[in-house]
Amino acid sequence: MQPLDGLRVVEVGGTIAAGVATKRFSDFGASVVKVEPPTGAEIRRIAPFPDDRPHLDTGALHMAFDTGKRSLALDLGTPSGREVLSRLLEGADLLVAQLPVPELRALLGRVDAESGPSTVAITAHGMDGPYAERAENDLTIFGWSTRAHRHSVQGREPLRYAPNAGLVQVGNTAGMLGLVAIWGRRQDGRRRDVEVAGVEALMGNVDSSFFLWAVNGAVQPRSGGQSRRIYPMGAYPCKDGHVLFSAARAPFFPNLCRAIGYPEMGTDPRFTDPAQREEHFEEFRDRLLPWLATRNKYDIFHELQAAGVMVAPVLDASEVMVDAQSQARSSYVTLAQPGPGDEPIEFTIPGAPYRMNGLDSDAWQPGPAPRLGEQTGELLDELGYTRDEQIALFRAGVTG
Amino acid sequence: MSGEALRGLRVVELSEVWAGPFGCSLVGDLGADVIKLETYPRNSETRPLREPDPRVADGDGPVYERVNTHHHGNRNKRNIAVDVRTPEGAEVLRRLIGWADLLVESFSAGTIDRMGFGWETVHALNPRVSMVSLAGWGQEGPYDGYVMFGVGFDAMAGHASVRGYPDGTMADMIPILHSDATVPLAWIFGMVGALMERERTGEGSYLDLAQIEELSTNVPQLIAEWTLNHRLPQRLGDSDPHIVPHGCYRAGGEDAWVNIAAQDDRQWGALAGVAGHPEWAEDGHPWASAAGRVRERAAVDAAVGAYAASDDAWAIADRLQAAGVIAAPVLAPGDPLLSPQLHAREWFQAVDHPYLPNRLLGGFLWRMRPDGPAWDRRAALVGEHNAEVLGELGYGAGEIEALSAAGVIGDRYPGPA
Repeated sequence: MQPLDGLRVVEVGGTIAAGVATKRFSDFGASVVKVEPPTGAEIRRIAPFPDDRPHLDTGALHMAFDTGKRSLALDLGTPSGREVLSRLLEGADLLVAQLPVPELRALLGRVDAESGPSTVAITAHGMDGPYAERAENDLTIFGWSTRAHRHSVQGREPLRYAPNAGLVQVGNTAGMLGLVAIWGRRQDGRRRDVEVAGVEALMGNVDSSFFLWAVNGAVQPRSGGQSRRIYPMGAYPCKDGHVLFSAARAPFFPNLCRAIGYPEMGTDPRFTDPAQREEHFEEFRDRLLPWLATRNKYDIFHELQAAGVMVAPVLDASEVMVDAQSQARSSYVTLAQPGPGDEPIEFTIPGAPYRMNGLDSDAWQPGPAPRLGEQTGELLDELGYTRDEQIALFRAGVTG
Repeated sequence: MSGEALRGLRVVELSEVWAGPFGCSLVGDLGADVIKLETYPRNSETRPLREPDPRVADGDGPVYERVNTHHHGNRNKRNIAVDVRTPEGAEVLRRLIGWADLLVESFSAGTIDRMGFGWETVHALNPRVSMVSLAGWGQEGPYDGYVMFGVGFDAMAGHASVRGYPDGTMADMIPILHSDATVPLAWIFGMVGALMERERTGEGSYLDLAQIEELSTNVPQLIAEWTLNHRLPQRLGDSDPHIVPHGCYRAGGEDAWVNIAAQDDRQWGALAGVAGHPEWAEDGHPWASAAGRVRERAAVDAAVGAYAASDDAWAIADRLQAAGVIAAPVLAPGDPLLSPQLHAREWFQAVDHPYLPNRLLGGFLWRMRPDGPAWDRRAALVGEHNAEVLGELGYGAGEIEALSAAGVIGDRYPGPA
């Protein structure tokens, strides 16, 4: 048994955020149907692809986020397609949708207020207001959210994080709320409609600079890299790469000073008094760097963690999977993904976001991501369409 | 609060900084009864005792009640301050566990066991309670007991190595706390899953969330570049390898920036029209096709950049958006107040607080009908609900007074040295 066994979720829109929103449902046991246009969901078009050959079934985000779902290729721009969707929604617990706002309003308007599923509508700016119909993407919602500004150096352009990190966060916000809405309805019988506006979901989260500013006018200095004011904070070079410190405050700072052979520095007000420490940054750094230069990043990690210092090695994508903790916990898993040819693709994804009742639990079980329209026939069978009716839909270009 | 989807759910928070506490505020927004068990007599990381501190607002009253990082991560909960390392304080926690549906803790791995409240003990005290542990590297594995904040998980998950300016170095990399934003979304999802599991089994579940593992689920393409094509992902800045234009351009005015992207030929044609160069999108022009724009990336970026610099960022974005092009200003920390959209949606929240009076703070991550979230409880003061909560747990007034006199509970931290 998986924790979400028996739940039925319908995903509409094919965007990155919608695909992310339903992934955890699927991996933890719910039945998820991905309704996508016969031309394929947007999430299928995002690189990287194996051997850089674009294909609707082998995009990395599709293979990572559409795990275990069933794909129904359906043109919702037709009455025929909408009839199929309305049958699919009968008995569903949740509809997660992202469409252009006028289409989204129309879709939600067709959900029965009493017997229909709970809904989560994903948008950029919300369903109302002067910007409601604006199109945004990962880059622009990130700029709106105030994060890009903080993630920059004064005088240079603000930066996003890794591509699509913003949209993934929006999707996980939507997924969490969808499950809460299902739970709430079980408790009090009330159907709920949730609206997740990407800009609000990012701007309202805890790392938003707006909140800090709104409390005390704080604007973090955009000096980049190693902080001169709160140190050590940031990446420092060592023998074979870099380590990342977050060790400015007690007890971490005195612990670090002891470990590198300058115990007196840990309590010296020149380095600990907020009013003085900035002007002594170079002195501190000149003592730390030679110590780091003779050591490898993992040696520093283990030695300083044992001494009670918050530090971590900076790893690249080739290193994260062979890290000792990743290996011990099987933090990454490899799936056999059906590819365009006969041979499956060996595809590695990050594992469970949390472990439920032990590392060996079967609560989280990702299946392969579906080919476009792979389960269209199977689903139309389940929805009671005869084979002649299914051919009629196919002949009319509604299904694929 | 005023949300009711999680009404009746009882949550105990034994957690500092953001990933645990902010998640508990979200759960509070959704209607749960959340009790924050504040560390005592040691102050928490988000409650500094001394000024000056860039996190602290000017004003009267205790320094630790005026902290920006604390205030906005702690709405919609009650607060008790208890020294759980004393036998009497541990008894308070035992009673809370008997009361609760969920215990959230974010100590380094092994700490909660040494405190006498490991999962087996908690489960024995109350078989129906679930527990979420948020140690950075998880509960099991060779890094047992290691300590870090989100900036370190970001470095170790491979994210830091792809952030930053394409021409930059690792030493220039700006530390971020992305996992503090993403981890709460995951553990709340897991918590509801545990509630559903309890309906079948009658028993609570244990969630071991390693923050580094959860963070990595947000960036699966990083390892995909490596495993599919044996290539390390690079620092892209704001560019996209396959979409041109896609970037952040300097707008008119000082330190002003506008993000612009044309994801297909239609958007590109609209952009070209707005910029006064419809010929850029006409058949035969080298920039008319998506492939041509990738080929001539630098020239396209320069042309778009010249247009972006011709006016204020908001005006540029307004004109491009009116034509259906993805474009938006880049907001500095106080700039959200300039957004007509956020005002039209009544997103901002007026919040009063004894030591941070009348602030206009940010709003919620979602709307929910019929029971949307509301900021019913400002961040509580240290120990503000000691008497109320301990009373509910069965302590008499005399007992509460004795606990206070013995220093087991309290409502203030020591003043500046």
